[in-house]
Amino acid sequence: MSGAPSLYARAQRRTYEILDGEVFDQTSRICEYFIASLVVLNVIAIILESVPQFHEAYAHWFDYFDVFSVVVFSIEYVLRVWSYGARYPEPEKTWQGRRDYIFSPFGLVDFFSTVPFYLQLLFPGADLRVLRMFRLMRIFKLSRYNSAMEDMLEAIKSERDSFSSAIFLLFISCLLFSSLIYIVEGQDQPEVFPSIPAAMHWFMLTIIAGWGNVDPVSFLGVLLVVVTQILAIALAAILTGVVATAYAAQVQGREALYEMEVREVLADGVVSEEEHHHLKHLQAKYGMSDEQVQAIAEQVRMEKEAAKAS
Amino acid sequence: MIVGVQQYVMEVLEGSPKHRMSQYVEWLISSVVLINCTAVILDSIPEVHAEHKAFFHELEFWSVMFFTAEYLLRVWSLGRKYLAEGSRWKGRKEYIFSPFGLIDFFATMPHYLHMFFPTLDLRILRVLRLLRILKLSKYNTALQDLFHAVHSERRAFGSAAFLLMIATIVSASLMHFAEGHEQPEHFGSIPHAIYWSVVTITAGYGNVEPVTRAGEAIALLTGFLGVCMAAIMTGIVASAFSNQMSRKKAAFKAQLLKALSDGEVSEAERDSLRRLQQRFRLSDADVQAMIDGAQNK
Repeated sequence: MSGAPSLYARAQRRTYEILDGEVFDQTSRICEYFIASLVVLNVIAIILESVPQFHEAYAHWFDYFDVFSVVVFSIEYVLRVWSYGARYPEPEKTWQGRRDYIFSPFGLVDFFSTVPFYLQLLFPGADLRVLRMFRLMRIFKLSRYNSAMEDMLEAIKSERDSFSSAIFLLFISCLLFSSLIYIVEGQDQPEVFPSIPAAMHWFMLTIIAGWGNVDPVSFLGVLLVVVTQILAIALAAILTGVVATAYAAQVQGREALYEMEVREVLADGVVSEEEHHHLKHLQAKYGMSDEQVQAIAEQVRMEKEAAKAS
Repeated sequence: MIVGVQQYVMEVLEGSPKHRMSQYVEWLISSVVLINCTAVILDSIPEVHAEHKAFFHELEFWSVMFFTAEYLLRVWSLGRKYLAEGSRWKGRKEYIFSPFGLIDFFATMPHYLHMFFPTLDLRILRVLRLLRILKLSKYNTALQDLFHAVHSERRAFGSAAFLLMIATIVSASLMHFAEGHEQPEHFGSIPHAIYWSVVTITAGYGNVEPVTRAGEAIALLTGFLGVCMAAIMTGIVASAFSNQMSRKKAAFKAQLLKALSDGEVSEAERDSLRRLQQRFRLSDADVQAMIDGAQNK
């Protein structure tokens, strides 16, 4: 291919930009708001529809709304698949971009929250509850517009060693304690500890709620229950500590990145309009407060002055 | 003369460290507030109320007089704040519409309404009286630190709230699908199940016994999510505090380096550093470590 891109290629590229939202312009924002509000309305509709009185009174409206949503989401899905062909500039990579989207978590959510509706048209006898569960997946479409999930996953990933050791500890102690309580109390209370899986259920309850609904009858049983409860507190503390470290590291990482940018901008001594804009954008992206930003700028300036003086 | 008095009153009421008096005024106001709150609590016990009715009335009257005087003095003296710019009312308006100004007003003035309209609902008045405890927060930098820390981590809190919302709706809906037929009194509709879900996430597992296998699994997962949410919230607050502390240290260090840059520390610089240390509530050991670090460079 040579020369100016064809109209088709330009339209594809533009659609990609609008839907992807990486380039932040008016159209892409409107599109984002429209889809996000439709998702929110869908979730509200799912919740309200489950109330019998509402369902009886407005069953038709819920159906119309669902058809409308499915049409919009289907158009969105098709447009996304089509336009993601323009993700990579090389023409032979058209399908790689599309595959990227289709098999990404967002792509899968988009697919499974929409397509089952058509299955229902084909096979009207399908279980409605399963269908509703798939519809509920639409709520995850929101996470495309909210970085909460991403932040959380990123934080977990950076601390995955600590998380996995906490989970490992949970796993080991679950095996150990449920076997022990089964051995110690299984004879005395066969109705609550008939097997090790039943004892595992008791263990998880104790870890989550602090009390497994069972009163031990033997001395060893009491001891085990008390140790399990202490373990529950310890696990909660470990989880809290890991999350705290992960968050603190994330915030510090962002501040360090921002500081680097400030240094770069201040390197030539002047802050151009464009650079100022860039810093503002970065601040919004990292969710930093004005005070934080000011403190960083102040520190960088101070260091420069100190360097100049010496 | 009058301007001098106004200036003095303003500085004392604003708690400026220049005057010894500001500390005493702060203590006086704080203790009156504490006595008031104790009285509100004791007054709610029927026996105490019956026995000491007259005393409580007297106390309330004098407290209102005291707080009115404080309010008027504040409004009057703050006319001085922007007098240099030629505006007598700018400082006053700023105070009157600030959160503290509004608290001061609404914690005191309803009493006068009661005097003129004795038929007013007394319960509203009592609630407004409890507002007085918020007057204490003016003198408590810890509370302000907390607000700042939360504000600087609002994004993380927003994410946590978003996750909480999704977790609540998804678990409630799943529970409705799983047990809606079996236990319609608990999971008959999703809004009904949302109540169960919120209780399970915040207060812990166990208010409703699930009857199906799927319901049991969902309930356990929801309970575990509750533990995770508590961990996330605690973690965010902990990291917010520690980040705030490190920012304060950085700000203090910058001032310290500035003071040390010309080779000597003047009396004025020492004073301002002291005040800064007090405001940031840094320990002497922290400051000493910073000074040592700076001198080693």
